Amino acid sequence: MKSKNYSENIIKVFKKDGFVLSEPDVLLDSDYIIQRSGENFRKLMFTFEDDAGKSICLRPDLTVASCIKYLKDNPKKNSKIFYSGQAYRRSDNRKDKVINDQLGIEILGSKNKFIDDLKILKTIDNSIKKIKIKNTSIKVGDVSLFQNLIESLKIPQRWKMRLKRHFWRPQYFKDLLNRLETSSDVDPAEINLDKKRFSEMKKLNQSKEIANRKVSEILSRFDRKIKDPRLFSENKKIAKIIREFLKINCSASKLEKNLINFLEKNKLRNNVFKDLSTIKKLSKINSKTIFSTNFGRDIEYYTGIVFEIYNSSKKEIARGGRYDGLIKSLGSKKNIPAVGAAINLNNLKI
Amino acid sequence: MKNLLTIGLPSKGRLKEESISFFEKNDLKPTSNGGERNYFAQIENLPNSKIIYLHAKEIVQRLGDGTIDVGISGLDLLKESPINLQKKIEVKKKLDFGLADVVVAIPNDWIDVQTVADLEEVSFDFRDKKNIRLRVATKYPNLTNNFLVSKGITQYEIVPSLGATETYPFIGSSEIITDITSTGKTLKDNNLRVLKDGFILNSQACLMFSKKKAKNLQTFLNSLTYV
Repeated sequence: MKSKNYSENIIKVFKKDGFVLSEPDVLLDSDYIIQRSGENFRKLMFTFEDDAGKSICLRPDLTVASCIKYLKDNPKKNSKIFYSGQAYRRSDNRKDKVINDQLGIEILGSKNKFIDDLKILKTIDNSIKKIKIKNTSIKVGDVSLFQNLIESLKIPQRWKMRLKRHFWRPQYFKDLLNRLETSSDVDPAEINLDKKRFSEMKKLNQSKEIANRKVSEILSRFDRKIKDPRLFSENKKIAKIIREFLKINCSASKLEKNLINFLEKNKLRNNVFKDLSTIKKLSKINSKTIFSTNFGRDIEYYTGIVFEIYNSSKKEIARGGRYDGLIKSLGSKKNIPAVGAAINLNNLKI
Repeated sequence: MKNLLTIGLPSKGRLKEESISFFEKNDLKPTSNGGERNYFAQIENLPNSKIIYLHAKEIVQRLGDGTIDVGISGLDLLKESPINLQKKIEVKKKLDFGLADVVVAIPNDWIDVQTVADLEEVSFDFRDKKNIRLRVATKYPNLTNNFLVSKGITQYEIVPSLGATETYPFIGSSEIITDITSTGKTLKDNNLRVLKDGFILNSQACLMFSKKKAKNLQTFLNSLTYV
């Protein structure tokens, strides 16, 4: 099948399943993206300046571009959209493609997580079946399970936040776990010096700002920090539990059993992992579905289920997931949960 | 002239004086025919050579394109330059002057922030509570990006600065800075403090070669007896 026919057939499935065409902008305001996604996103972007000195980039990602368009158009409505277009990404690795042809769907303002996650998965699966690609396999992860686990552990809130934030950066995460085991980040000598300044600063106007932070904000964080109640022996145990969790890798149908074993072995509450129904259903869509707790750690914006679909020669042909925080971080005042996926046309071509 | 050796030296300040003094100690005294402000000089006992005085940053660039063969400049400036340029330049000798550190500095009164790990936490507070990114003013965007990202800080925005970066946090242009410092006095005088583990680079003056010409430079290198 030619790639044009691929697209036509996939789009037919998208439309049949109720997704409406949306055409996100090709050129985006780079400063807007950097301000909201952080400087490390810049490495992926092709950036240039227009005559007025404004920095513009080619859309690095169609999900981000679609969210920006959604926010511009009408953020009140839920929308089920599909797009067909190219994303442009810079990479240090010469083997990576710069131009990626993508066909994707998104449910922006997704109110029912279970129904919508499954809807996205089913539509992508139907599209792949429609273009007669057989013997596919799925790899799936769920960032929220990791978050459930962290919440159930007895470590200071600061450390919980920290571990959650850096889940998607495996190398740094490893360092963090080592640090959790070995060191305290509170230096007693230093603290004594600063305590003096602490009492001086208490007398200041608490809403006075020092480089954009209120005095009250600084003092309350200082206070929280010196009361950090970490115990080294406990931390070793906790780091071990987290490492063990991240090794779980099994067929999706066996996930529930494995998680229960894991909880029992580590003497954790049996209701830590809240809901596995989507993953269980996924194993019915495709029997070759592998679940891995360590999967989906390369894109920061995912917050729930993450998946990739491969063809018989193990090339990735589609990927997607839930991203409940992205639209807010792009400037929306409200939380707007969302889920989506895209088919990578480049890897369909034979 | 085919075998002419072109040497780039810093055109002003202490780096200029110390570079000249390094050459003099090696019995290679630069002399200039023109006035004090002439940008060219020769070395008497090194025939077929000429010296050009350039901005230290320019020295790195001209080594990269091969206009000059040898130069003295700061390691910070080399490491800040684009990777393709760095690949064309070889550091031959680290010299014992121009010692300074590129560091992360924060307002003194952020007493809850001692380490990069603290800063990381604060940067997420900026994102989550204020929905803006922590702004980092710097003359070293590349070094700063590499350092911060390697330490888990991703939620920030670079504000390019040309100078007097120390003022930025107090005039509302940024929250923190990265900058070069040798004694720390300027930072201290401006109510800034270096993070305990906020050392990005130990910099010093270096003798650098253009890799294109490196083969022909052995004679010159041999003439440097005083190191």
